[in-house]
Parts: sequence; C-alpha cells; structure tokens
Amino acid sequence: MSGDVRLRREFIATALLLVLLALVPLVTRDVYWLGVLVVSAYFAILASSWNLLAGFTGQFSLAPAAFAMIGAYGAALSAAYYNVPPIVGLIIGTGVAGLIGLVLGRIVMRLRGPYLALTTLSFAEIARLVASNSINITRGDLGLPLEPWFNDRVIWFYVFFGALTFVICGLYLLLRSKAGLFLEAIRDDEIAAARSGVRIVFWKTAAFAISSAAAGFAGALYAYFASLVTPELGLVQQTGLVVSMTVIGGMGSLIGPVVGAFLVYVTSEWLRDVGGWQLVIFAALVIMFARLFRTGLWGLVTTALAPRRRAAGRPA
Amino acid sequence: MLTGALAADLAVNGLVTGLFYGLMAIGLALIFGVLRIVNFAHGEFYMVGAYAYTIVAARLGVPLVLALPTAFLFGAALGWVVERTLMRPLYANIGSWGLMRDEYAVIVTFALSLLLVNFVDKAIGPYAFRAPALISASRVVVGPALMSGQKVAAALVTLAVLALIAFFLRFSYWGRAVRAVSQNRLGASLAGIDATAVSSLVFSLAGGLAALAGALLSPIINASPDVGAFPAIKSYVIVVLGGMGSIPGAFIASLLLGIVESFGAVLVSYQYRDTFGLILLILFLLFRPQGLFGERGREV
Repeated sequence: MSGDVRLRREFIATALLLVLLALVPLVTRDVYWLGVLVVSAYFAILASSWNLLAGFTGQFSLAPAAFAMIGAYGAALSAAYYNVPPIVGLIIGTGVAGLIGLVLGRIVMRLRGPYLALTTLSFAEIARLVASNSINITRGDLGLPLEPWFNDRVIWFYVFFGALTFVICGLYLLLRSKAGLFLEAIRDDEIAAARSGVRIVFWKTAAFAISSAAAGFAGALYAYFASLVTPELGLVQQTGLVVSMTVIGGMGSLIGPVVGAFLVYVTSEWLRDVGGWQLVIFAALVIMFARLFRTGLWGLVTTALAPRRRAAGRPA
Repeated sequence: MLTGALAADLAVNGLVTGLFYGLMAIGLALIFGVLRIVNFAHGEFYMVGAYAYTIVAARLGVPLVLALPTAFLFGAALGWVVERTLMRPLYANIGSWGLMRDEYAVIVTFALSLLLVNFVDKAIGPYAFRAPALISASRVVVGPALMSGQKVAAALVTLAVLALIAFFLRFSYWGRAVRAVSQNRLGASLAGIDATAVSSLVFSLAGGLAALAGALLSPIINASPDVGAFPAIKSYVIVVLGGMGSIPGAFIASLLLGIVESFGAVLVSYQYRDTFGLILLILFLLFRPQGLFGERGREV
C-alpha cells in the first residue's frame, strides 16, 4: 500500500519535471542546448530502463549501452540495406534489442552479483567488437550513416520528450501492476518469492527483455537523431554513465534515473567550458553516493521532506 | 598452413603473453578470494603503473631498476587507499548489508575506473607516452621465436615475481593468512587471523602487481588513459576460467588464454580474436562456474 503511494508520488514528480522541461523551447531555441536536452532524454530512457533491471528486479546488468547500440544498428542496417522508413526502423531496432534481451535474460537467469556483471559485460564487449570488426557489413568504426528523420531541433526535442514520457508511463503502469510487486519480491528475496508462487523465470526474463527493448528503442531513436551509428554507442564507458546517472539520481525509484540523467548530462555540458573535469567529478560523486547516500538525490530529498510532513500531521 | 615452426613460434609467443596476463589476473583472483568481489577498476592500476614507470624513468631520470619497484609501490599504495576508504563497508558490518553488497562493489569499482581514467586524461593528457625499454636489443631469439628484447626482459621479471608470489602465499605467515581468509573469513578470524589486515594486504598486492604489469609492458604498449581496459577484460576471463578466486587456476588459465588467443588469431579469425576469451567466459559461467580447477559449491 505504502509502496503504491510512494510510486504514485514519484510518478507525479517525474511528470512535473517533464512538463517543466517540455517548456524549455518557449524560453530558448538554441540548437546546441536543445541538442544537449535531447541527449539527456536519450540517457534518461537508458537509465530508466536499466533501473527497471538493476533497481527494481535486482539484476545488475552491465549491458544497457550494448542494447542501445544493438537498437541503433537494427535501425541503421535495415535502413541501409532495405531502405525502410524511420518508423519501421525504430520498430525493428526495438524488436531486435528486445529479442536479444529475451535470450540473454533467459540465459543469465541464474547468475547473480559479480557473475551476472561479468557475463553481461562480456556480452556487451562481444557485441561491440562484432559491430566494429564486421567491416563489410557495418563499415566498422567509420559508422553507418543514416538519413535524418527530422531536421528541426525543436521537433527532435519533442520527439525525445514524447519517447521519454512514453517509457516513464509504461514503467509506471508496469510497476503499479502485480508485475511490479513480483519484480520487487524477486529482488528482495528470490527464494521466498518463488515459494510464494511468483514465476521467477518468467518475470526475470520479462524484465530483462523489456529493459533491453527500451534501451534499443532509445538507441534506434538516437540513431536517426545523430544520423550516424558507430560502435562507440556500446562502449563500457557509456554504461558507466548510465550507472552513474542512476546512482546519483536514486536507484530503485521511478524518478531517480530521470533526474540523474538530466542533472549529470546538462551540468557536464556546462562544465565542459571549465576544462572538462566533469567526468572526474561525477565519478567521485557516484562513489560518494554509493558509499554514503545509497538512495541517491531523490532519497535525500524525500528524507529531508519526510520529518516536516510528520510534524505537520502531529499537532492533533 | 600451420607448419611446425609457426606452431612453435605461436606457442612461445602465447606463453609469454600468458605470463603477463598472469601478473594481472592473480591480483584479481586474490581480491575475489578474500573479498568475494570483482574489482572492475583493476585495469586502471595497470594504467597507473604504466604512467608511474614512464614518468619516473623518462621525466625524472630515475634508473630503470628503481623505476619498476616505484611503479609497484605506487600501485600498492593506491590499492591500500582504495581498500581502506571504499572496500571497508563490504565486511565491516556485513550482516546489515545483505542484498546491496554485490551491487555496491560493482558500482564503486566501476566508478573508480571511470574516475581514474578521466583523472589521468585531464591531469596528464590523452596522448600516449613512450616509456624507456629495459633492454635496447630490438630482436632476441627465444628458442623458435623472435621477440623484442623488452618482451623477453619483461617476461623474465614476471617469472621471477610470480615465483616470489607463489613462495609468499605458500610459506609465509601472511601468505597462509591470505589463503585461510579466502577459504573462510569467519573461521580465519576465529583462529586469530586479522582478516581486515589481510584484505588491505591483498588489495595492495593486487594493485602493485597490476601496476608492475603496466610498467613492464609500457615500453611496448605506451601509456595512455584507457590502456587498462584491455588487460582488465583479459583478467576477468582468466579468473573465471581458472575458477573464481583460485590462484593456481588463474595462473594456468593465463597461460592457456595466451596460447588459445595466439593460435586462434591465426587458425580461426584474426578479426574476432578478442571475442574468443569473452565467449569462453560466458560459457564457463553458465556451464562450469567453478572454472577449470575451482572447487564445486561456490555460490553462483
């Protein structure tokens, strides 16, 4: 019950944040900063999808960037070889990433902790190495060019915000349903969940597939935005960014990854002018948050607000 | 296609590469044995070692014989600091941790890797550094193979260090303490072994060994901020192959991987040579999580 209230509060806060950000084009139409927000939204989708896996289901995968890369290549290859329209390319990219995620999720079902991290990391590296070495198909590190879908930055901005809203609403509906309960039960105690009748294999695999499909969706969309797909999308450092954003924002909350993604990416663009120490600062922040404030920024905010609310309710 | 001479050449080259892998992987195996975590920043100790050696030797003009131990000490000191500040909560109040323990370890070591790579990138620069070689001979004949002098010298140093580590773990008090804690942390501390000190020791030793590997190879590979990613991935593969936490297993798996890669690059596919080990890693974790030589019953 209280979980439901917490989730709804997080959803409302996310919605408010998104509405606020959606007003940005009214203030500025600066191409550069709209681009920064587009990339932030891309990372917000990735971080939210990874959070479903790591934060809500307890499957600490190190492959979110690889799935984004797979989605991007799904779209770019089908566009390059079969000339499909963007919307079909988007569906193909999402579908391919989801399918591979389904298979990988089923395979790594029984692995936990460092074993799962190592397996998914290896998968990610294999995917990236294959993409960068299959030169006759993917053009390797040169990348595959792609016809851009839209040319107006403002349209792109709203496309990405629409996509992010879609993913957040989907996650909210999923987590609010029984499925969310099952996933959290699996995270907290897999054996107890199984004993209570939760279908572990089904739900863990489903979470993996959904998370991968969402990452692939983000990647495919990004491919049309950047109009170039390179293996660099799947670099482990990209996964590092996704993890950093989620941890700083707050793992295991709906809003955390969104806050983290925008905060980290926008400030890092800001700091770029001051010598580019941003990645050093963020890595240090991640370590600090993981060490001292495990619930992230969102956790800090809620604990800061909580006593006041109780105090307001008390004088009866 | 595969003549006897080529096979012998490949075997020798593979073994030498395997020795270097061993220097990296044994530290990772030690850490996993004692703390039950994978250090995802292991490659960055290698990178730090490569820089320490290059800067001390080339910029400060310190003799090479002293530059190597300096790199080791630098890596060991960094390892000690990391263990003290970040790894302590893994076992300090272990009871209250439960679920988040593994995730914490992955996040923190992953972020540490990001931190060190970018710190060096900003503080020193993204360009590759060339380090002075131990031996000026550019070509040395080793049995059937032809190798650069630096590679031969580095292999000899590696062999000596590995032998030292083996003696240390086998016979010294602290070596036996390390093995006891890897077998059973609680049991070892009940027997009066300082498990906290052992954890610090293991992290420093692992950091030092990785840094030494970086220092030894820096004249060949050139130090750059992301130079550690590659050897780190190799050591993950090796640690899984050898059985997570097993030291002899890690050593044998290092040599095996070196040979498999050197033959695979010629016989199977040069393009995809770096994926062989990763595929082995996944297959092993799925079907033989105890590795080639590990004991049964480790939790997966």
